[in-house]
Amino acid sequence: MNKEALTPESTAETREIVLAAREAGSRLLPAGRRTWPRAGGWTRDGGTPVSTSQLDTVHHYEPADLTLTAGAGIGLDRLARIVGPNRQWLPFDAPGSSAGTLGAAVASGTSGPLRTRYGATRDNVLGLEVVTGDGRTLRIGGRVVKNVAGYDLVRLFTGSRGSLGIITRVSVRLFPIPEADETLLFSGGPAEAVSMARTVCTSEVPVAAAELVEGEEVGADRAMVLAVRLLGGPREVEESRRRICAALGTDPWRALHDGESRRFHAARIGWEEGASVVARLAALPDRIDAALAAARACATRANGAQGSAAITADALQGLVRVRASLPDSDSTRLAETLATARRETEALGGSLTLSHAPPEVAARVGWTGSGPETAALTDRIKALFDPDSVLAPRCP
Amino acid sequence: MIPGRLTKELARICGRDHVIVDRDRLLVYESDALTAYRHRPGAVVLPRTTEEVRRTVQAVVRHGLPIVPRGAGTGLSGGAVALNGAVVIGTARMNRILAIDAPNRRAVLQPGVINAELSAAAAVHGLYYAPDPSSQTACTIGGNVAENSGGPHCLKYGVTSRYVTGLTVVLADGSVVKVGGHGREAPGYDLVGLFVGSEGCFGIATEIEVGLLPVPEGVRTLLGIFDRIEDSGRAVSDIISAGLLPAAMEIIDGPTIRAVEDSVFAAGYPTDAEAALVIEFDGLEAGLDHEAERATRFCFRAGAREVRSARDEEERLALWKGRKKAFGAMGRIAPDLLVQDATVPRTTLPAILKGISEIGNRYNLIVANVFHAGDGNLHPNILFDRRDLDELERVEHASKEIMQLCVDAGGTITGEHGVGLDKKHHMPLIYGPDELDTMWGIRRVFDPGAVMNPGKVLPEETEPSPANPRREPAPGELVGAPAPA
Amino acid sequence: MSAAADSLAHAVKEQEEGLLNCVHCGFCLPACPTYRRLGDEADSPRGRLHLMRAVVEGRLDPGAEAFQTHIGRCLGCRACEPVCPSGVEYGNLLELARHVGGEARRPSLVTRLLLRVFGTEWLARPAMFAGRAARATGIPALVTRLLAGSAPPRGPRLGLAMLAASGPMRGLHAAPAGSGSPRPGARVRATVGLLTGCVQAGLFSRVNQATARVLEANGYQVVPVEAQGCCGALHAHAGDLEAARAMARRNVEAFEAAGVDYLAMNASGCGAAMAEYGSLLSHDPAMRDRAAAIAGRVRDVSELLAACGPVRGSAVRMKVTWDAPCHLVHAQRVSGPPQAVLDAVPELDVLPLAGATECCGGAGIYGLTHPHLGGWIGGDKVRSVLESGADILVTGNPGCMMQIGAGLRLAGSEVPVLHLVELLDESYRRAGFYAGGTDHGNGSRP
Repeated sequence: MNKEALTPESTAETREIVLAAREAGSRLLPAGRRTWPRAGGWTRDGGTPVSTSQLDTVHHYEPADLTLTAGAGIGLDRLARIVGPNRQWLPFDAPGSSAGTLGAAVASGTSGPLRTRYGATRDNVLGLEVVTGDGRTLRIGGRVVKNVAGYDLVRLFTGSRGSLGIITRVSVRLFPIPEADETLLFSGGPAEAVSMARTVCTSEVPVAAAELVEGEEVGADRAMVLAVRLLGGPREVEESRRRICAALGTDPWRALHDGESRRFHAARIGWEEGASVVARLAALPDRIDAALAAARACATRANGAQGSAAITADALQGLVRVRASLPDSDSTRLAETLATARRETEALGGSLTLSHAPPEVAARVGWTGSGPETAALTDRIKALFDPDSVLAPRCP
Repeated sequence: MIPGRLTKELARICGRDHVIVDRDRLLVYESDALTAYRHRPGAVVLPRTTEEVRRTVQAVVRHGLPIVPRGAGTGLSGGAVALNGAVVIGTARMNRILAIDAPNRRAVLQPGVINAELSAAAAVHGLYYAPDPSSQTACTIGGNVAENSGGPHCLKYGVTSRYVTGLTVVLADGSVVKVGGHGREAPGYDLVGLFVGSEGCFGIATEIEVGLLPVPEGVRTLLGIFDRIEDSGRAVSDIISAGLLPAAMEIIDGPTIRAVEDSVFAAGYPTDAEAALVIEFDGLEAGLDHEAERATRFCFRAGAREVRSARDEEERLALWKGRKKAFGAMGRIAPDLLVQDATVPRTTLPAILKGISEIGNRYNLIVANVFHAGDGNLHPNILFDRRDLDELERVEHASKEIMQLCVDAGGTITGEHGVGLDKKHHMPLIYGPDELDTMWGIRRVFDPGAVMNPGKVLPEETEPSPANPRREPAPGELVGAPAPA
Repeated sequence: MSAAADSLAHAVKEQEEGLLNCVHCGFCLPACPTYRRLGDEADSPRGRLHLMRAVVEGRLDPGAEAFQTHIGRCLGCRACEPVCPSGVEYGNLLELARHVGGEARRPSLVTRLLLRVFGTEWLARPAMFAGRAARATGIPALVTRLLAGSAPPRGPRLGLAMLAASGPMRGLHAAPAGSGSPRPGARVRATVGLLTGCVQAGLFSRVNQATARVLEANGYQVVPVEAQGCCGALHAHAGDLEAARAMARRNVEAFEAAGVDYLAMNASGCGAAMAEYGSLLSHDPAMRDRAAAIAGRVRDVSELLAACGPVRGSAVRMKVTWDAPCHLVHAQRVSGPPQAVLDAVPELDVLPLAGATECCGGAGIYGLTHPHLGGWIGGDKVRSVLESGADILVTGNPGCMMQIGAGLRLAGSEVPVLHLVELLDESYRRAGFYAGGTDHGNGSRP
């Protein structure tokens, strides 16, 4: 990962790099700003990094269209500064993405807690320009919000993690920044917090996000905190707050308004930073208590090994994340722990995937769970775009 | 006609009553809602389960015949038309809602479930299914998945692919594949997303898992009446720019207003107006009035002559009536109707509308516009009579020019109706040879034998073949795909 | 093009509004009871219109199996009309198609026999008499009870059950009649002539009498209309347009002679047919305008009652559910007035009925000509009636009363079927409205 990155300055140059690598039989590792080098883990087997960070031009931005087209290397932070003055934003809040590039966010395809309100990352990518592993430049999708012309290759590339092509240009859908942004923090014991989350998630109030966070991370003296984010017009948000408090029978431990609320969530995007292992346990939202229990057992064992571990959950999605940093020596034990957690989550009808892990742990546990029946299809897809495996290995 | 042996085999699989081979009966399946294309299928099979679909696919493929999936046949692109005596697999009998899981806001369905009936069934739990194509009272979820259907309310809520979380699919080789699934994370290639909108070319979805939303507590509907269509377009832009996010914004133009008012569906829109803009907000009761007031002000500021608002459901339906009945009304003033479906960047709407009207004038045709203004999805309707051959020819020219106009403005050829048979020859307007080549490749990934809905979406002449080999890019070759982005 | 196709082509030319208006959108599919059950588009309104167009275009022979089967299989419930965005007048086109189909190939013996009976007074009278006599023996009811719950209702069993179901509800007049209070509505609001009909007169005379009583209680003067006859609806539906036109002419003349303000209908099938006399006789220059004028005065009894309130009677503490006859709700688009009538009965518990606007499968003589499909559709109706939790089913058409009543009996249920006016009549009787007035009698006893 320390290799000097190639930094093409145009799509044509990107393509030359790919064609040359293909001819030479060497490997490339598509990347953005390289702030999140292990994103998704599947980029593990190396090659020469190709960073699209120089491809950061804004090609098209018409505020009244609520769409933007830019080079894949544009930082999400810079993009926010460009569209912010028009009271617009790109509500991408996937882990780690605020420091990264637009291209990397699309390539990783992960979504954050705002998914329920704004859709997943893939729902807001309108068009892409990519250089495929066999050196074709494809322009797929477009820059209009409704487009069903041809097969949806945009969705295929969103989340393909550099395995099919290098994303060089992206068109996205923007949204107006809501007038009011409020986050209500309710604290309680583990069971209490889950029960509060359930009440909020099944209520008629349109909450934008609902996350469970360990109390000490936010300075609460109870074990867990439920963070409910409300976005909308001021009257709507006020009414939502009133109803949520009524439904829970309590006032929030703390309420964060506007700037405070935004900063709180911006900070949470970096929650996985520095962790050597991150596991995602997904289950149906009404089984989140069981998924949390599996995650907690996992974290406790990691902590027992003199590491530090934490958990958080997106209650609306039914997604629990475990973050752990621990000495490399204990990888066997960690692998066992993760394997157990995976068995438990799969028994719930859910899944456990690793998004960060030391190679030896990943090798033992596997990035994803039991083999999908779609392997034959995904092999053929990989071969269609990158027949000589110039790029990252295919997604599982 | 299909071979007698195949008929017998299909009858054993699905029951004799559900295999249609009588040539006269097959007439009714010769087209979908776009009647310009008529091809009589070789047979129609109406299975009831995934297993019956699987065995039907195997049997038909074994006899070397192509397959066309069909829902309610409400599509507007000829996608469900059977070319070359293909066997239609209809999903009309696969109409069971298998589960509504209210706590997790999801449902599992067979493909033949009607869109509006899913919402009706979910309503007892306070939930609904958000994508609402105009044909929602008749179209099926399976068809919606195939076409990635939109609808007036996708401005705020997004299209079908946002709501489909899992699929059970029967592929051409007779295999049954499950992709996605709510509550599971499937990192990597988004096969569900790829399948949605594949227009029946990848396989047949036999079980569909979708996400549901809570029914909005309140709705406010406004109707702005404008003397100039550009003004209505400006009102739309101003509302969006101000950060308001209505659930729907729909415009019908002067010719359409007059068609509606002349028909039995008269909705009370002033006939001398040049645009009627329907705006709808939904969400919590609190705040809706405030949003509606702001939108009303924007309408007046943009030059609205009048803004009506609905207080109750009855008034709401009255305001929508002109929009909802527009197609039917136009059906009454001309024997034939060509509906286009281009999407353009919202800000180009005024220029595009002007351009369309000029094209109409030049070819001496009536072009009436109904469109989803919020997301730039236009539905220009060219009215004509197919028995007038000269007019027919003018329609073809005008249609092509309108399409080109929209593409040049950064738009696309279809926003929600799909490519099907109708628009496949327009695909090269927006995609270069490499993109089309790649789409052929993706299609072969799912269907190497080219048996699923052949002749749709991609123009034949772009198909890679020994005579027309897949282009191998060489180092140093210039980059230059003509493209919208 | 064959002569028959030519005649459809001719008819279609006149109905151009109708056939060409179909833009093939498919919105009618889910509204169609046969499509919903069979899943074949040839059994949908759009499919049938497509077949009709194919005949006109010379691509299909009207004698062909496909045309005969699918046009024949239509219930004629017209549920497709209200949902059609292009306003296709399906009912009219269906009658024309059946006419053409009938010319190309003779209808089945059952159809011809039934139509002959209804259309010919000297046959209908003895048949209805025989029916009443048989019903009076109690044998149909007994046999129906014995056969309840076995195979799906069809054939002779269905016929017997329908006969049994046409009888009055037992214990309807068990509550003491009120006394003394004068009949309200003495002021003459308008004069009405009641279509006494063929089946109503034969098997439902009690409904005719109740109709007259409740109308008078609401201030209408019911004038006897001599020389009237069968409305011809069944004949038109079956495509025997010449017979239907002859009956229409006779009725136009009879009601003209009576000089009434309105024609009151208590059979929605007849009401729908008479409301369309104008188009039925549009070929006949001598009759066209007269027919249209008479058609314009046709009102369902519920419309007449709703127009004046109606007057409220005494409490009837029963749990009922309302099934909307197709020819009332779809063909005549009358949906509010029956509710107003139910509201005029104090303390009546009206429960919702799932699929209340869907056809019961009776559809004139459908239950007899298509026993299997009719039985299937009827079975679904019976199930939803039983699931509604109502003790009594109320509807507004004798065909529906017999079809659903037969289905209920064969399912072993005791839930009786009442005509809407019978219920209001009972409420008025209990209120004593009839104590001092003319008694039209309680109808025939079983």
